[in-house]
Amino acid sequence: MINLIVILTTAIMFALLLVWWRWPVFRIWIEAPKYSMLRQEHRFNDQDTEQETATNLSSNGKHT
Amino acid sequence: MTTSAQNLTSRNGQVTQVVAVLPSIEYDLIRAHIVASLVTVVISVLFGITVATKFSFPEFLGGHGWLTWGRLRYNHTQGIFFGWLGNAFLAFFYYVVPRLANRPVWSRKLGWLLFGIWNFAVVLPGWVLVLNGISKPLEWGEFPHVVDVFVILAFILMTFEFVLPFLKAALSDLYVAAWYIIGGIIFTMLAYPVGNIVPELVPGARGAAFSGLWIHDAVGLYVTPFALAIAYYVIPATTRRPIFSHFLSMVGFWLLFFMYPLNGTHHYVYSVIPMSAQKGAIVASAYLGMDVILVVTNLLLSLRGNSGTASKDVPLRFVWFGVVAYLVVSLQGSVQALMPVNRFIHFTDWVIGHSHLAMIGFASFIALGGIAHLWQRIPRTRYNERTMNWSFWLLATGLTLMVADLTIAGLVEAQVWESSAPWIDSIRAVGSYWLVRTLSGLPILAGFLLFWTSLVTGPKLSGATLSVASPVASENKAAFEDVSPVSVIPRSSSWLSYAHVVAFGAGVGFFALSFLVLAIIPGNQLEHEIKQAAPVTMANLTASEQRGRIIYGREGCAYCHTQQIRFLAADVRRFGAPTEAWETKYDYPQLWGTRRIGPDLSREFNLRPCDWQLTHLYNPRLVVQDSVMPPYPWLFDGSPGHPTQEGLDVLAYIQSLGRARQLSGFDGRWLASSVRSETPDMAMSNEPLAGATPPAVPIAMVGGYSLSAPILHPAADPGDLQEEVSRGGALFAANCASCHGSGGGGDGKASASLLPKPANLTAARFSDERLSSVLWNGVAGSAMPPWRQLPTEDLRALIAYIQSVNAPGATPRIQEAAGLGKALFAATCASCHGVTGEGNGPAAGALAPAPTNFHLKKPTEERAWDVLENGVPGTAMPPWRNQLSADERHALLEFVRSLYDPPQENEGQ
Repeated sequence: MINLIVILTTAIMFALLLVWWRWPVFRIWIEAPKYSMLRQEHRFNDQDTEQETATNLSSNGKHT
Repeated sequence: MTTSAQNLTSRNGQVTQVVAVLPSIEYDLIRAHIVASLVTVVISVLFGITVATKFSFPEFLGGHGWLTWGRLRYNHTQGIFFGWLGNAFLAFFYYVVPRLANRPVWSRKLGWLLFGIWNFAVVLPGWVLVLNGISKPLEWGEFPHVVDVFVILAFILMTFEFVLPFLKAALSDLYVAAWYIIGGIIFTMLAYPVGNIVPELVPGARGAAFSGLWIHDAVGLYVTPFALAIAYYVIPATTRRPIFSHFLSMVGFWLLFFMYPLNGTHHYVYSVIPMSAQKGAIVASAYLGMDVILVVTNLLLSLRGNSGTASKDVPLRFVWFGVVAYLVVSLQGSVQALMPVNRFIHFTDWVIGHSHLAMIGFASFIALGGIAHLWQRIPRTRYNERTMNWSFWLLATGLTLMVADLTIAGLVEAQVWESSAPWIDSIRAVGSYWLVRTLSGLPILAGFLLFWTSLVTGPKLSGATLSVASPVASENKAAFEDVSPVSVIPRSSSWLSYAHVVAFGAGVGFFALSFLVLAIIPGNQLEHEIKQAAPVTMANLTASEQRGRIIYGREGCAYCHTQQIRFLAADVRRFGAPTEAWETKYDYPQLWGTRRIGPDLSREFNLRPCDWQLTHLYNPRLVVQDSVMPPYPWLFDGSPGHPTQEGLDVLAYIQSLGRARQLSGFDGRWLASSVRSETPDMAMSNEPLAGATPPAVPIAMVGGYSLSAPILHPAADPGDLQEEVSRGGALFAANCASCHGSGGGGDGKASASLLPKPANLTAARFSDERLSSVLWNGVAGSAMPPWRQLPTEDLRALIAYIQSVNAPGATPRIQEAAGLGKALFAATCASCHGVTGEGNGPAAGALAPAPTNFHLKKPTEERAWDVLENGVPGTAMPPWRNQLSADERHALLEFVRSLYDPPQENEGQ
């Protein structure tokens, strides 16, 4: 059983490294989510900033 | 949904503007879960501090079942698990899932239903039921089954709420935090029923294999994935830079889900669970350590170039601390699983320090960082940075102190357990450490309270939302925009999209494999072994014993007393033969335990009399002065002599432990088949079954009669003798005074409820031989235990002290006794005491306590007269005042005195 675990895990690791080394497109594909996550964060932040600005303008207008 | 314009800058410099619809975020649900998490963490920490305080002050809040140690301990861990971390994770999911899936969560109404179930059908009723004595004695699964139903329901609802948005979004790229959220929800939903229900259906050792899985799955498939999801989100969102490598993060993710389920059995190393499963778990633990190095390296490299980040951004600092703690605790876990380490530190406070480092240092710090991060980004909320900063340092200080303290305490305990010192010495040795642990809980409590305060005392905002004001973020603005569009992946490689499905299938496969490898296959082996080894006459527990077992479980006894003697020389030497699978044949669920504060109870049958057990249950300090065990007065009607039915049931259960083993002759068979005269060090033997042999000499701790009792003589030199008396006095005060009284008068606190009463040491003269025998073997039929685990010099000192309080006036009558006394003695006393008064009459062998040997124990005239008048309650000695006249009793008394041996040389000094 121990042999099974060790062999299986080692094989998976080597397979992943092989794929990483052999197919550059895999690297691009596997790394893409870390950029899309930031894009999403950016989009939400932009929206929040716009809404905040709008709210501040609105409240300033009321005071004046 | 709201619209947003987004500028995407690709690597070739082209800028395109995308108008997209942004999913809405359920800010009310986020706030509600944050409030719930902070309320429950404060309550849970208070439970923990109360539990810790009881180690130093066992009577603290000890008068009622609702506030007893075991129930509060259950609520402490379950409160942290479900109340604090569960709510914190859910709050973060509501914030992050719409961002990662680009879709809102499934339903707002479903969200409120989930909130209600989690807090008002799981946490709150779970706490109340546990305090009321309705629980399961399963580690990390203490809430009762009625609560389990709602936990499983909640995870099903979580699947709808947080997993389906990802599936509906059909994203071509899924960020690692999303993987952790999806994986954590799905795998916990699968693992929870197996860990919480199966051990109730599969008994003993077989059930323990399943319990072990859940103990680790609870941390590995619930706490860890969700905490890592937060870390993987907060770090890039704060620094505005992508993580170092998404490839490494995915390798880490899958290794975690492959390896964690395989770890469970490392909680039962050196147990009867097949060694192949144990070693498999140990190997998996080592792999897991490597995986964590990978994950942490990736996370820390994601902070590269931001050395000052943690000092500027408190939420990020919380996360950074959590990541470092994750590395430390995981490597610690891998090392702990290794057999040479495990044999030493398992069951000690080291493990408690380890679990606090995991649940506070890793999970809670990251959860706090996550909450603080999103609090700064939801409408109308900001935290007070100064207070938040204080919160961080208080928590970090308290945790560091606690973990260091418990780690050292664990090493101290392990050292004492390896020796032959009495168990109570390990309690005494770590008393001050437990006090420090309690005190270290105070800054942790203060840290959580200040964290809460910082959230409600932040700057008041009238605006709808936020802009992220992190100084670190603005510094990295350029990096934030340097994002690589997914569209560069050629269409020919769209097969990669199916990798998720393949990987998901592999994950489920590994999950199933873990149960097959660590539970089902070992379970079948154990079942076969039980069928072969269990005596055909092995009786199930009686109804009373079964009721007692339930009470034993509900009061948390298994969290201090193991019922699992490991295949280790130190365990066997102290407690007896290793626990076999067949002994647990009727244990639904198993009560093996994973911690020893008190001694193992596997061999409690016939070990101590009922009066001792009841007195001990009523108030342990009546019989064991320095015990930290909680009192259980609600099992009695006002005194140890008046147990309720529940008290009798617990007594019956405790007295049944090890009965099947003793009655089966199992050890005799083993001994007969083995030529080993001593227990070998089984730590490194190939297989437990091959290496385990009960010791030929009875166990030091639990007694049993030893024919090799030496006769110990106090020092002859007056100066040395005085020193021995002085040291013996201290030993007597620590170990004997609770029963025999501080002056040795037999009037200690426990004496009221013990029968026979503890000996009045001032009313007789005891010979060296008699005292040596009693100290070495105890007194069968009484509460007097054997003390031969004490060093010989201590026993000698005790003998010296006891003889110093002995009555000096019990002098023998020199002249030949009158014929009447001799005749009366022969007619009425010799059948027990023997013709010559040596306590060896024909009936003596069947009596416990044994009849007095008047050559070794010489009662004073007053004591002897009192015994003749009133007998000795709790023994076979009857009162003689109605059968014999006063003259006859006097004659008898004179004859008995004539039996006394001449004084020893040092007598009367």
